[in-house]
Amino acid sequence: MIKKLLLFIILFYFLALIQTSFMVHFSVWGLIPNLIFFSVIIWNIFERSKNNFGIYQAVAAGFFLDIFSSKIIGFNIIILIYLAIVIKLFLKSYVRIPFLEK
Amino acid sequence: MKTSFNKKQILIFIVAIVLIFSLLNFFQKEIKSFFYSFSAPIQKVFWQIGERSSNFLSAVLGARNLKSEKDDLEFKNQKLMIQLAELDKLEEENKSLRQALDLGLEKDFKLAFAQIISKDISQDFILIGKGEKDGILENMPVITEQKVLIGRISETYKKFSKVMLISNKQSSFDAKILNQEECSGIIKGLGNLNLFLDLIPSEKEVFEGDIVVTSCLGGIFPDNLLVGKIKKVKKTDMESFQQADIKPIFDISKSRNVFIILDF
Repeated sequence: MIKKLLLFIILFYFLALIQTSFMVHFSVWGLIPNLIFFSVIIWNIFERSKNNFGIYQAVAAGFFLDIFSSKIIGFNIIILIYLAIVIKLFLKSYVRIPFLEK
Repeated sequence: MKTSFNKKQILIFIVAIVLIFSLLNFFQKEIKSFFYSFSAPIQKVFWQIGERSSNFLSAVLGARNLKSEKDDLEFKNQKLMIQLAELDKLEEENKSLRQALDLGLEKDFKLAFAQIISKDISQDFILIGKGEKDGILENMPVITEQKVLIGRISETYKKFSKVMLISNKQSSFDAKILNQEECSGIIKGLGNLNLFLDLIPSEKEVFEGDIVVTSCLGGIFPDNLLVGKIKKVKKTDMESFQQADIKPIFDISKSRNVFIILDF
């Protein structure tokens, strides 16, 4: 799992760089799609509800978002952890995706 | 493997997170500076690629409007040529006045050149490649080469600085309408690159298209730096002040370089 997390840390570092240097040129009506938020949401939706890896991933993603933003370190981490937990709890209670439950 | 949460696990997790956050924020400046130092070259590459791709895309998407834009630009070009001729005349006049008053160019700003490295996702901050080592201090004004105001330094690191754009919600400063000294107000940032001119006395005549420049009243920015154009005037008979929406002149997505005013 540590190997997998390390891989995601590198991935989120580059996603944060892309977000702050590349994506800023592609605003649609003043809004810029946030790749990191999108990745964390997608991962947590499709991860088995038993696993907690999506939450560790949210910490790593939030950390890099905070580093390259003007917010204090922890701001985006908390938002992403909260988001991951809400998705997990919601899916655990109300949604069953058969191929993920195997 | 059963990994569902229990109360104890969650409590330990929260306590650990709070402790780590406190520690990280205590050394926030050093940590961010460390990451910026090796990320800056990569960010520069991404910035250039993004800029090129965005230019290409906007050219493709805007192809339909090319004809009308061309006509519009030709018209503007003619207008500018007339203004240029007038400015030449004024420049000569200015030169002779400067000589007459014994005022040299050394009285102008002392500037430092810097490249934009990245833009904050909240859009109202940018990171530039000059920092404490280059004599950059907090609150120094940042402008473009056309003397258009961008913002001011909000945080400095060893080799980098954060610039709070004038459109940031925390930004406010004194401004006036160009060529109307007594018609002043306060520019407030609305976020998302939007500006707002507040506290203009209601008896003053303000028109759409009027140019807004900085005023030296607050001591934050030097006089007469370009800020934006009046987009919409909001005036009611009930209130003693009027407001106006401002369209900023700077286009941060197209700027690559900025100047920091070291002394004014």
